[in-house]
Amino acid sequence: MVGKDCVAIACDLRLGLQALTVSNNFPKIFQYGDNVFLGLTGLATDLSTVSDLFRYKVNMYRLREERNIAPKTFANLVSSSLYEKRFGPYFVSPVVAGLDPKTSKPFICGFDSIGCIDFAADFIVSGTATDQLYGMCESLWEPNLAPEDLFETISQALMSAVDRDALSGWGAHVYIIEKDKVTKRLLKGRQD
Amino acid sequence: MVKVGEGNSRAATFQPHLGRLSPIEIYHARLGRLGKAWQRDLSSLSSGWEVLLGITGRDFTLIAASKAAMRGATILKASDDKTRQLNKHTLMAFMGEAGDTVQFAEYIQANAQLYSMRNETDLSPSALAHFVRGELASSLRSRKPYNVNLLLGGVDPITHKPSLYWLDYLATLAPLPYAAHGYAQYYCLSILDKHHHPDISLGQGIKLLTLCIDELKRRLPVDFKGMVVKAVTKDGIVDIEFDDDKVVKSA
Amino acid sequence: MPGFDFSNYNRNAALHARGVPLPKATSTGTTIVGCIFEGGVVIAADTRATSGPIVADKNCEKLHYISPNIWCAGAGTAADTEFTTALISSQLELHSLSTGRKPRVVTCMTMLKQHLFRYQGHIGAYLVVAGVDPTGTHLFTVHAHGSTDKLPYVTMGSGSLAAMSVFETQWKPQLTQEEAVALCSEAIQSGIFNDLGSGSNVDVAIITGEKTTLKRNYIKPNERVPKLKSYIFKRGTTAVLNEKIIRKEDLGNFVSVHELAVEETGDKMEVDA
Repeated sequence: MVGKDCVAIACDLRLGLQALTVSNNFPKIFQYGDNVFLGLTGLATDLSTVSDLFRYKVNMYRLREERNIAPKTFANLVSSSLYEKRFGPYFVSPVVAGLDPKTSKPFICGFDSIGCIDFAADFIVSGTATDQLYGMCESLWEPNLAPEDLFETISQALMSAVDRDALSGWGAHVYIIEKDKVTKRLLKGRQD
Repeated sequence: MVKVGEGNSRAATFQPHLGRLSPIEIYHARLGRLGKAWQRDLSSLSSGWEVLLGITGRDFTLIAASKAAMRGATILKASDDKTRQLNKHTLMAFMGEAGDTVQFAEYIQANAQLYSMRNETDLSPSALAHFVRGELASSLRSRKPYNVNLLLGGVDPITHKPSLYWLDYLATLAPLPYAAHGYAQYYCLSILDKHHHPDISLGQGIKLLTLCIDELKRRLPVDFKGMVVKAVTKDGIVDIEFDDDKVVKSA
Repeated sequence: MPGFDFSNYNRNAALHARGVPLPKATSTGTTIVGCIFEGGVVIAADTRATSGPIVADKNCEKLHYISPNIWCAGAGTAADTEFTTALISSQLELHSLSTGRKPRVVTCMTMLKQHLFRYQGHIGAYLVVAGVDPTGTHLFTVHAHGSTDKLPYVTMGSGSLAAMSVFETQWKPQLTQEEAVALCSEAIQSGIFNDLGSGSNVDVAIITGEKTTLKRNYIKPNERVPKLKSYIFKRGTTAVLNEKIIRKEDLGNFVSVHELAVEETGDKMEVDA
């Protein structure tokens, strides 16, 4: 979710096999630089495979280029990596959030499982609670939210959405990314 | 196929979406790729009745596995040990398709031991768990994947922190304070949810394990012939004497 | 009598048993069009991307760059249109660099159709290719299976029927640029309002011998009315269990460099020969 000079990215913490919850502390947000974040939803095994793959690719980028990857570059890396597997895709739908290292402009985008980028100026949602999240974000989000207000908006949107999804929830992580600091919060959520 | 002159509205017919797959579509697509294996009912497999349990505590990780080796409706052996020691501080328990389990576990064991010999140092439980995941993930993409579910328990040789990893045949890896595989999940996770605490002693851990196994004896429709119980501590792996003959009365 | 009305149930069940498909609740797709005028060509597209019944992107870009004088409008699987056009664009750039000539629209169209035919329709890209090159003005459609058309005006996507109806009633030979742009945007708007799979805004690209003009969001007939009130939550509404702040200047704290005391025993490693 985009705010004024800041972005936020949030995830729930459940890992489950259909109706059985296996873990209630399974974060789905990964950091790939000072302010480049990737959120992943989908099949758990592909979550690990894809997040590890991008850690490798981003580390190689950093060594080759001797600089950190920018969110926009990372988004294109994600896109082309996923499209490479066009006819046997990873079952993930990623979300990228970050601030441009030069201009500090907020950047967010989402992908389908074969790498089509969805650039958005407001918010991106993904996962089993997609429909609920679209509804929540469409009504709660407004332009130019300050970091503190963005936190409340994204948290309330996520919590309300996952409370209406039997397959999501069990607490949440929220990252607020600003120019010179990143705040990570663990939210108190329903445990049912 | 598209004919000259009438192909204009084909976009809608062939690929019905411009954009994103919904999670449901992804879910169904996944069912397609994995076929029946993913949907297979646990009860139709003899491995579905196997029990794996793992509990971590203050300074130990407990691993328990059922003793029955089953094939169809027959119990072939009542003293099966479904665990392998990977190195001094790491133990792996496994269940799944008959031939796959031991083959895979001993392959991992051999590689773990080879690493220890070559480098004169053991891999940490976390490193081993990720190694096993990698092997499972590449197996999943092979012609005939291993059908093995695992619990990997250990105590870090340096920090002495206990850890437990839950892995399934899809190469899903989850670090957990307590875990189970098979039908045992449905009975034991709720008990562990209520009674587990990260700071319990080994004695309390065994008590908790007994609580779980009693419930399994009470509720599972088959006799799994008792449990092999092992504890990983900073000093290595010890066998825990476990009373399999205890009779649990059903309600 | 309160309760539900089941009067249609048996009829619908019988119809379904006879092979009549149940009514489809949703429609997906796109409207893209192209039209030749005196001295150039114009292509236009809507800006809605869908996933099932959900609008995934309200303002996506469906006009793709191939070369300065060739542009493509894409329908079908979004990732396929995006990557197929990017691939051909790259090959065409190298081709024109090695031949030292401006890329031609037929070349582009041929490369696209050969690529798509090779994949037997599994790459779901349905494209309108338009451009001006030294041989003249061209407008093509390319289907996912590899077939192509060459026409003075074309429509594609799920909104193609709505758009084509506009062309069939209003098109005439020797259009001026302004007329062509107006006709194309009218056709797209017909798709936006009559096809559920199309929506939001109109994007237009005008290609002439001299230059290409991309008019992003040329018409915005569906602008959201701003909210009349702010619905921001009071700060502190959300219960937080744990908070960790990492400041840029503190990042150094996570990486520390220590000088290790060198033990003066045994041979030192030879650093320089």
